[in-house]
Amino acid sequence: MTLRLWPVKTKERRATVLAGLILLQALCALFFVSDVVEDFRLDGKLDNPHLALETVAAFALISGVVFLMVELRALLSRMSNMQTGLDIAHGQLAGVIEEFFDDWHLTAAERDVALMILKGLDNDSIARVRKTAPGTVRAQATSVYAKSRTEGRAQFISLFIEELLAGSDHPDDGVRKLS
Amino acid sequence: MTTVAERTSGRASARQVAVWDPLVRLIHWMLALSVLLNGAFLDADGKPHEWIGYIALGLVGLRLVWATVGPRHARFSAFPPSPAMALRHLRALLAGVRDIHLSHNPLGALMVYNIWLSVIAMGVTGYMMTTITFFGVKWVEDAHEVIFGWLLISVALHVAGVAFDSWWSGVNLVRAMVTGCKNIPGGQDVK
Repeated sequence: MTLRLWPVKTKERRATVLAGLILLQALCALFFVSDVVEDFRLDGKLDNPHLALETVAAFALISGVVFLMVELRALLSRMSNMQTGLDIAHGQLAGVIEEFFDDWHLTAAERDVALMILKGLDNDSIARVRKTAPGTVRAQATSVYAKSRTEGRAQFISLFIEELLAGSDHPDDGVRKLS
Repeated sequence: MTTVAERTSGRASARQVAVWDPLVRLIHWMLALSVLLNGAFLDADGKPHEWIGYIALGLVGLRLVWATVGPRHARFSAFPPSPAMALRHLRALLAGVRDIHLSHNPLGALMVYNIWLSVIAMGVTGYMMTTITFFGVKWVEDAHEVIFGWLLISVALHVAGVAFDSWWSGVNLVRAMVTGCKNIPGGQDVK
């Protein structure tokens, strides 16, 4: 059931890299800041160029950390919006499928087989999963195609794709939130 | 339509919720590692011990900043330090209520603040020992030791709490801190 689209995956990797950078840079910033403070404590004056440079470096690192944090937060919120959209689409699609199955008066076994066909399993795999003979599955699949008035696997699957594509015409559709 | 959707979402039993962002996870495990290294493996008088101590201090500092600017579940507002809420949670536990919290549960939240404060106190007393003013001062050394003992107890309680809550709520919390996702069992409400 875990539907993984590639943009989600690359975003996740990006977020991890960002987090690592934030951590590393924050520790570097800490080092420079404490070095500046330590030098100042020993030396007592702020006007030598070495210390000035270190102070600038510390500020640059700190602003870098803040900037990366803002960036990571924006990325995370984009990821969570995308997930919400997917979840909505998920629920809607499941609802649509159930409605179709109800309309066609599929038996419990046929529902199972039909769902596995939609998930891309072939007859042999379905037979293995359901622990029945391949012939039985073939008969059930034929019955599913007959009840749905389709001429086979490809057309059966495209019924649902078509419904999804047409669905975006409805004004108040949850799928809209995807955009 | 609604009934069908409800039925199907009920059947799609478990759901994944992204809770811990990568920065939270990295900081958590780095902090655990630095406590382990400093507590168990490194010579307490050596330079590495000092460095790891400062790193731990930096990690907590960074986490505190992230708790003010970070995403929802990482924020202070997601796990306020509230003894009243912790008590209510404890009463609910005793009454047998198995509620699921997306961020830390109220008891866990108290433990989080406790561990952060302990690490900060360890860092501060540790730093004081390196300064001329406090070098060799007895009470500072004692404080460092006592707080370390307290930190050990806290970590043990933390691990026990995680194990208990994972069993009690059915959400594998260790896995959540590794992958970032909590696997919420079907039909469960979350807080």
